[in-house]
Amino acid sequence: MDGEELTEQETALYDRQIRVWGADAQRRLSKSHILVCGMKGTVAEFCKNIVLAGVGSVTLVDDRIVADESLSANFLILPHENHYNGKTLAEVCCDSLKEFNHMVHVAVETGDISTFGVEFFEKFDAVIISCCSLGKKKLINRKCRKLSKRVAFYTVECRGSCGEMFVDLLDYKYSKKKLEETIECQIEYPSFEEAISVPWRALPRRVSKLYFAMRVIEQFEDVEGRNPGETTIADLPGVLKLRKELCETNSLDESQIPDALLERLLTDTREFPPVCAIIGGILGQEVIKAISGKGDPLKNFFFFDAMDGKGLIEDISGPSTRS
Amino acid sequence: MKELNDGKPRKIKSVRPYSFTLEEDTTNFGTYVKGGIVTQVKQPRVLNFKPLRAALKDPGDFLLSDFSKFDRPPLLHIAFQALDRFICEIGRFPVARSEEDAQKFISIAGNINECLGEGGVEDINPKLLTHFAFGARAVLNPMAAMFGGIVGQEVVKACSGKFHPLFQISVFGSKLQKNLEDAKVFIVGSGALGCEFLKNVALMGVSCGSQGKLTITDDDVIEKSNLSRQFLFRDWNIGQAKSTVAASAAVSINPQLKIEALQNRVGPETEFVFNDDFWENLTVVINALDNVDARLYVDQRCLYFQKPLLESGTLGAKCNTQMVIPHLTENYGASRDPPEKQAPMCTVHSFPHNIDHCLTWARSEFEGLLEKTPAEVNAYLSNPSEYATAMRNAADAQAKDNLERILQCLEQEKCETFQDCVTWARLRFEDYFVNRVKQLTFTFPEDATTSTGAPFWSAPKRFPRPLQFSTTDPSHLQFIMAASILRAETFGIPVPDWVKNTKMLAKAVEKVIVPDFQPKEGVKIETIETDERATSLSTGSVDDAAVINELLFKLERCRNNLPSGFRMKPIQFEKDDDTNYHMDLIAGLANMRARNYSIPEVDKLKAKFIAGRIIPAIATSTAMATGLVCLELYKVLDGAHKVEDYRNTFANLALPLFSMAEPVPPKVMKHRDMSWTVWDRWILRGNPTVRELIQWLKDKGLNAYSISYGSCLLFNNVFPRHKERLDKKVVDVAREIAKEDLPPYRSHLDVVVACEDDEDNDINIPQISIYYR
Repeated sequence: MDGEELTEQETALYDRQIRVWGADAQRRLSKSHILVCGMKGTVAEFCKNIVLAGVGSVTLVDDRIVADESLSANFLILPHENHYNGKTLAEVCCDSLKEFNHMVHVAVETGDISTFGVEFFEKFDAVIISCCSLGKKKLINRKCRKLSKRVAFYTVECRGSCGEMFVDLLDYKYSKKKLEETIECQIEYPSFEEAISVPWRALPRRVSKLYFAMRVIEQFEDVEGRNPGETTIADLPGVLKLRKELCETNSLDESQIPDALLERLLTDTREFPPVCAIIGGILGQEVIKAISGKGDPLKNFFFFDAMDGKGLIEDISGPSTRS
Repeated sequence: MKELNDGKPRKIKSVRPYSFTLEEDTTNFGTYVKGGIVTQVKQPRVLNFKPLRAALKDPGDFLLSDFSKFDRPPLLHIAFQALDRFICEIGRFPVARSEEDAQKFISIAGNINECLGEGGVEDINPKLLTHFAFGARAVLNPMAAMFGGIVGQEVVKACSGKFHPLFQISVFGSKLQKNLEDAKVFIVGSGALGCEFLKNVALMGVSCGSQGKLTITDDDVIEKSNLSRQFLFRDWNIGQAKSTVAASAAVSINPQLKIEALQNRVGPETEFVFNDDFWENLTVVINALDNVDARLYVDQRCLYFQKPLLESGTLGAKCNTQMVIPHLTENYGASRDPPEKQAPMCTVHSFPHNIDHCLTWARSEFEGLLEKTPAEVNAYLSNPSEYATAMRNAADAQAKDNLERILQCLEQEKCETFQDCVTWARLRFEDYFVNRVKQLTFTFPEDATTSTGAPFWSAPKRFPRPLQFSTTDPSHLQFIMAASILRAETFGIPVPDWVKNTKMLAKAVEKVIVPDFQPKEGVKIETIETDERATSLSTGSVDDAAVINELLFKLERCRNNLPSGFRMKPIQFEKDDDTNYHMDLIAGLANMRARNYSIPEVDKLKAKFIAGRIIPAIATSTAMATGLVCLELYKVLDGAHKVEDYRNTFANLALPLFSMAEPVPPKVMKHRDMSWTVWDRWILRGNPTVRELIQWLKDKGLNAYSISYGSCLLFNNVFPRHKERLDKKVVDVAREIAKEDLPPYRSHLDVVVACEDDEDNDINIPQISIYYR
């Protein structure tokens, strides 16, 4: 066990969770630094979970001004106008998060995250990106990968009753207990760009329809220059056209991406509190796993659809990183 | 085979419960005599990781049929064009729910379709278009999508504005939103699950309408270790009631929330608070509990009042959810986990073979020494004559035992100074870890055999060795420190500062004169063979009575020497206070004992985990469990869903694993042409007599032989004197036997009747509600 002992205060506060992951993992957590970009409901849930868990610091990036709409699934923004009047999402969430756990340093970083240099990301152990364009996601993922240290990278998007999460832990080694044995494991992750450019026909059959649907919408938004969620049902014809093109290029049957699903994703732009709680819970646990080195991490996509209540893990990797 | 005693790791194969094979040549080894303990060594190795694909089969696929209607983009294109034209012509959106506007909209769509000719659709589906028109003002409802059926029946409408901005743009159909707002919800428990539930329901707008009401109850107060996941609580709330603090935090998330916070434990003793009216008025119950007994109680209440119960629980990274829906699913209590395994008493007392056994023993010694005995002493001192009478009347081994412990505490081991406490602690050490072991190995020497001739000390039994007390061993001194401090506390003796100075403490311990111990012949020690006999309580004898009188006489003498009003202070084990020395003593007791038996010792944290029976808990799995339950809450409040719409979940975030299943329907009982489930109740009106009730059942082919009301037996045909009750009204018999008046607002009573069919098979029939007014 490296590093200093946990303080008495830490042991008292984190008692119940130390019993889950051990004092060593708690020590590693308390020294970790997390960067979060895009403060919507799911990310708010995630932040609550890791602040309670006792990470070292959380840095929030989101310069958008709080609007009434932001309140709907984000419990960090209290519905008193003087609480959020004129402030940015990151500022308001920061104020609320600080109260959850005084031992965690919560701060705001302003500016456009895509302009931050590579060295900025070096300060962190995990980077979580939400509500960002495809281009930004790829860019930040690339920057994290350029660093000599491992920075875990996650993206998360919720569209109404559907949620998608992507994980990149690069070359990840960890240990796990199987029965009484401790086994050392190793997984290689593809980058976001590599993962989404794996030809669809190379993917195993029965890959979640949500994977394809999310890619179609993502590309559509990218081509149109919109942010995630800035869509309406009026975009359906354009999206259907793009689906046709993508399916042709990838020799995938169009029925794999049902119209009804695309329609839902286009129109369900508002987040849905229980789904936020579920995805925020899973993302929280994944980040805790990656930092503490305890437990099998998820590779590399997770999908949840409240409509059928299914949670699916998909491994979307090129041949070199397929496990 | 002494060659194996070198402690080097060896490869083994063919592992069976009682044997394994060494992967090496042992032909040159000596002969195996007996014994030996093997420990599994973990050799790290690199494996290629295989992904866990939790590709789960979909149990329901219930939505596809409803959505097939929507799978028609061409029609939707027409609808949007029609909407554009409508807005152009009329200058506004169709008014929600306006039939007139809808008709106008449909005719526009019809025209567009005709103009399209070949490219048009065959059927413009006026019903769909009506819905489209009704909902045109709102963003298409994402959540309605979740409920399949709702989309067809109830289309989104912008909310009327009586809500906070939070809900001004409603994401729900108006009917469902109204159901959510007016729901009368009962959340039982305000811990980790409770906090998450409150946040979710506040965001969802549940119980936020004028008719809505959310009741949350919890009898617990906030403590430090709650804060790492019960996120509605802050440092300055420590010591305050959980429910009150959580409720006011939830109101700050949504000021419209109609919430009442109570501090009552839910159970039979609070049925005056949670009375019939309370239960009958509820829409849904959400359990946020941490123990099975309370869950079972709430389950029974929900079963009785026919209320949906949303159940969930977490354990570390695991979580599960279970939906209990009247008539559709089985109830929570219908399937139960097997009870936890407990080690036999003799294992704990004399033959521990792992640290859990040592800790169980340590905890029970702690309670005996510091809680039970002082409490017994106080019971005697507060009313000596009454206590003496009770003991004389009991006149059994238990009574004798109690008196012996009181006498020991007030006579031989009475403490007046702190040095007395140190002496006591030192002698306890000697007794526990030296003398008892000497006695045990004297009664059962290392080469002892059982009645069948097998070696007595064979695995899993471990042969113990006595410890040698030494002031240079820090763990010995720590034991003395914790034990003497706690002993002083029970006697109200102030603890001097020097106790924390090891040198001073060592000096004090060295002053203690430790008598030599000689093992005795004929001491009975329980072994697994004698365990069963030991459980049958020994009955009183003439000897016991005489001994009890003798003990009481001695006690009386002791009492006269005590300062007037002297009482001891019993100590209740509290695991969470790190400064109270409780865990230090328990860990000390357990580890010293482990040392006796060559069992690996544990640190204080691990000891606390096992001895405190603490349930590990983290925020993430709680958040996930409550999210999953709230998805189901929508379905419950929407109403009229089928069992296949609901989902029970089991997830393990550590693996990660997510699995869903339809809830299990209730077991259907059948008799003749009748069938019923646990949710059914039979009703018999007209204030019947016992005979009439029996006849009523007889007509159904059921022979009733026993009738009970609560815990009272009203009638059983084996008792001849019960015959005279046959012609009394059931309600009068109940009043007479239960000796209580039925509440004035009640017009029925529920009886349980045991029945057989004509072939003498027991038939489990529903409860019968007997109406007497």
